[in-house]
Amino acid sequence: MAVFAVFQTTFLLALLSWRTYQSEALSEPLPLTPESLKVSINSTQQCLHLQWSVHSLAYHQELKMVFQIEISRFNTSNVIWVENYSTTVKWKQVLHWSWESELPLECATHFVRIRSMVDDARIPEPRSWSSWSSWEEVDEQNSLGHGTLFVFPKDKLVEEGSNVTICSISRSYQNNVSCLLEGVQMRGEQLDPNVSAFHLNNVPFIRETGTNIFCTTGRGDGTGTVLFVSKVLEEPRDFSCETPDFKTLHCTWDPGRDTGLPKRQPSQSYTLFESFSGKKILCEHKNWCNWHIAQDSQEMYNFTLTTENYLRKRGVNILFNLTHRVRPMTPFNVVFKNISDTNATMTWQVHSIGNYSTLFCQIELHGEGKVIQQHNVSIKVNGNYLLSELEPDTQYMAQVRCGDANHFWKWSEWIGKNFSTLEAAPSEAPDVWRNVKSEPGYQTVTLFWKPLSKSHANEKILFYNVVIENLDEPSKLQLHSIPAPANGTKLTLDQCSYQIHVTANNSVGTSPASVIVVSGDTGNKEVEEERVNVTEDGFSMSWKPQPGDVTGYVVEWCDHPRDLPCDLQWEKLGPNTTSTVISSDAFTPGVRYNFRIYGISTKRIAYLLEQKTGYSQELAPSDNPQVVMSNLTSHSFTLSWKDYSTESQPGFIRGYHVYLKSKEGQCHPGFEKAILPDDSVSCKYKIYNPEQKTFVVENLQPESFYEFFVTPYTSVGEGPLDAFTKVTTPDEHSHLLIRIILPTVFCVLLIMIICYLNSQWMKEKCYPDIPDPYKSSVLSLIKSKENPRLTIMSVKDCIPDAIEVINKPEGSKIQFLGSRNSLTDTEITQPAYLYLLPTEKNSSGPGPCICFENFTYNQAASNSGCCGHVPVPLEAPSQLGLLTSPENLLKVLENMNSLGEIPAGETTLNYVSQLVLPLSRDKDSLPTDPPVPALCSEYKMQMAIPLGLASPPPNEKSSVSSVTLLDQGEPHH
Amino acid sequence: MERPGAPISPAEPISQAYSLALYMQKNTSTLLQTYLQYQGSPFSDPGFSAPELQLSSLPPAAISFKTWHALDDGERLGRAQGAFLALSQHLQLVGDDQSDLNPGSPVLLAQLGAARLRAQGLLGNMAAIMTALGLPIPPEEDTLGLVPFGASAFERKCRGYIVTREYGHWTDRAVRDLALLKAKYPG
Repeated sequence: MAVFAVFQTTFLLALLSWRTYQSEALSEPLPLTPESLKVSINSTQQCLHLQWSVHSLAYHQELKMVFQIEISRFNTSNVIWVENYSTTVKWKQVLHWSWESELPLECATHFVRIRSMVDDARIPEPRSWSSWSSWEEVDEQNSLGHGTLFVFPKDKLVEEGSNVTICSISRSYQNNVSCLLEGVQMRGEQLDPNVSAFHLNNVPFIRETGTNIFCTTGRGDGTGTVLFVSKVLEEPRDFSCETPDFKTLHCTWDPGRDTGLPKRQPSQSYTLFESFSGKKILCEHKNWCNWHIAQDSQEMYNFTLTTENYLRKRGVNILFNLTHRVRPMTPFNVVFKNISDTNATMTWQVHSIGNYSTLFCQIELHGEGKVIQQHNVSIKVNGNYLLSELEPDTQYMAQVRCGDANHFWKWSEWIGKNFSTLEAAPSEAPDVWRNVKSEPGYQTVTLFWKPLSKSHANEKILFYNVVIENLDEPSKLQLHSIPAPANGTKLTLDQCSYQIHVTANNSVGTSPASVIVVSGDTGNKEVEEERVNVTEDGFSMSWKPQPGDVTGYVVEWCDHPRDLPCDLQWEKLGPNTTSTVISSDAFTPGVRYNFRIYGISTKRIAYLLEQKTGYSQELAPSDNPQVVMSNLTSHSFTLSWKDYSTESQPGFIRGYHVYLKSKEGQCHPGFEKAILPDDSVSCKYKIYNPEQKTFVVENLQPESFYEFFVTPYTSVGEGPLDAFTKVTTPDEHSHLLIRIILPTVFCVLLIMIICYLNSQWMKEKCYPDIPDPYKSSVLSLIKSKENPRLTIMSVKDCIPDAIEVINKPEGSKIQFLGSRNSLTDTEITQPAYLYLLPTEKNSSGPGPCICFENFTYNQAASNSGCCGHVPVPLEAPSQLGLLTSPENLLKVLENMNSLGEIPAGETTLNYVSQLVLPLSRDKDSLPTDPPVPALCSEYKMQMAIPLGLASPPPNEKSSVSSVTLLDQGEPHH
Repeated sequence: MERPGAPISPAEPISQAYSLALYMQKNTSTLLQTYLQYQGSPFSDPGFSAPELQLSSLPPAAISFKTWHALDDGERLGRAQGAFLALSQHLQLVGDDQSDLNPGSPVLLAQLGAARLRAQGLLGNMAAIMTALGLPIPPEEDTLGLVPFGASAFERKCRGYIVTREYGHWTDRAVRDLALLKAKYPG
């Protein structure tokens, strides 16, 4: 071999020395000149492809050479590219070189020439370039065909963000081409009178079907081209390989975005190459690939993942030891065994990953969607684990996953399964509280208990057992079984002490007992109620620690104190606790809650310690008190709202506001001006004591109009604005009048009553009864002598022959108010004697004529001033009337006949003669007949008229009745 | 087969062809708009129009009224027949182009296919009229000739534009042609 090399070198040197000699001799350039230069165009790739050869090389000769290539555009002098291309040249070898043009090759004529130089170390210096080849012209414009405007490149595929040059060729003289990319003008550059270039930097991706570039000369002709822009091919990310079983390697990666363009460029391909084995596979999927592991158990792997599209090629590499990339397959056959109420054994199996391999498994226990327990265990093939501390009668889910214990790489997938623990008796005693009401002779104990939590109930609670043990008589036991879901019961017990045991029972068994003691004497002393503090968390309360043995405290309250039942709640606290915060969703603003704090003695008896009250949030009063106004005087009145309860309000009542409006607009002392919610101005008086429920409004003006309104207020505000009550103060003197008039009226009434009661006495004193001669005792004496007719004269026996009319000063003016008998004008000035003759036959009667002088009987009495005028019935004025004028006499008589027709109302009383009415023996004789005396005789007669007949009481009815009597003419005996 | 000179009544085929042409007329505008919408700017720009673009292989529908009116039945039907023959072939070409340029546009491809079938249907109707009128039916020609397979995407987009545009123009002209014939040969 060495001999051959030496030989070859020697031969080469000999050849070169011969050629040197020859060139020197011929003074010609070295004949190693590029020859047969051919230039072709690849329009799609915008490449100039050069090929040439060096003919002068000897047989099997290899020589390092440098070729210098010059490219000119439009003309040979416009050189745009010079490049030296070094290569080893062989005998008869055709050399190739490509150049990619930025400008589409169709738009310009290109010229190419080439020269060469030997660059081989075996050839001694000096070296020189060969002569240039002749220019090769490349012109595509001739093949453009017809048309006036052309745009290149056509249908070019480029990457997003790359730079592209578009060129246009215009065959018209007016070359003013403009190009638009999706409506946006592109920056142009004039390369030649007919050629323009448009440089497009950072090409955007617009759509998969290409981006149009439209060019026009503005003279009606236009053409364009389409750029197909693809996304840039990305390097695959997160490339990794792993084996579950040492048989296959599963390689995955994130491919990034798809660079495919429909019908232009398929999506990028992925190729997996392993350098140690030299194997290569084309991946069918774009994000994973399976590699088959050969039996010879290759340990190290060096993978290269290559992705490529038409425009780019990228690759990533990973090198790993196969045993460090084991991800076991998902375990299988998960089974739970020996399930009890608190334990269960989980078993599972794994696929083997080798004879000596150990797996590391993780177990998770889930309950109610959360991870409760987590355990790790190493196994070979079969795994098992004891799950403990479980809740009875509870559903769980346990899952397991495994990894390679020797060289942990990744966990397998989880595999899980559900199981349920067995049931058990309730594990905790129910939380029991009581309410005791002592009645005479017995006590009512209401027991309450809270349902056990699911974890303590262990199964559905079926019933509660309440055992009542009489501590005074231990032998007496009562058992009450109360079916669930009751949360309490009511017991009526006597005054003895009782110990009450409450247990919850499910189908498996009984819970521990909750024990409370009630004694006949609850010993609950009255404790003062305090206000409780309210914080954001709830009612915050504390209490004094109790001396002696206290086993705990209980705070009780009602969630709905306004309802019945009030939903009793309680909270049990330890013996060392002296404060707590009570909160409940049921607490609503404006409701007063009362809290009672009990201490539990060692004997399990509860003693009331403290009472608290408060509001979770105080509100303004919701209503105003009913105000009663009293004692209204001209200067004051009193307001009172005694019925208003401060307890049932939505906040602690702190006092009251008394609003007063007056016309004066000025506020009284103690009042202040206030603007009401309705923007009216009022005077306000503040009462700071909630128990003061009366108020005297003073300093008022008489006969003035006032309006008042009383509203309570809490720390939040006052009650709603209601209507004002209107009041007007009375006149200042009116009350005085009342004070005088009332007693006066009372006195008058009293006198009248007294008068009435003593009327008989008065009558006797003032106007005693006129004695009736017929009833006189003298009469009886006469009768006894059997000569009655001789003693008393009967009036009817008298025939008046003349009537003497006497002028009476006191009776000078007699008024007759009766309409028909009005004689007001009649004046009797002097006595006159009227001589009367009998005119009717029936008037004739026996007896002598008597002159009747009309002297009233009681004139003297009248003059005495003791009594007033005595009313006289109607016939008297009639008689008087007939006396006034002779013509009227007959009229009067007629009137007398029709006396019954005289309306009672027209009868008038006056001073008249009093005489005994004729007591006719003949019923036919008219009582109105004038007393006609049979004989004219001077006789002055004085008679008394019986009281009951002639002096009727001063009322019209009575006068009518007397008239009736007259009319009937019946004798009054 | 009926001999010329003793034709059956041409009214019925004219009426059928007229109805079809009217129906086609309703869809030509939609076809053109759909086509342009899928081609991108400047084609999809509002109001795009390039009347200067023409295809040598497709006879233009534009004709002066005087010339059009002076056409005899044979010429009238013959020109329409030739145009719709060329249109049906060009619509096939445009359909192929678009399945390459817009493969994910079934709506456009369906409309192009439907237009081609209607053009062929109208050709058949016109042949029936010519038969009824006793006119010679011109032989089917390969109007496309040498298909310019090397056309660029932009050229193909333009080509499709011209075809869909001329399809509309020729349909309009056919409606008028047939209305004229309908008046001339009442049923």
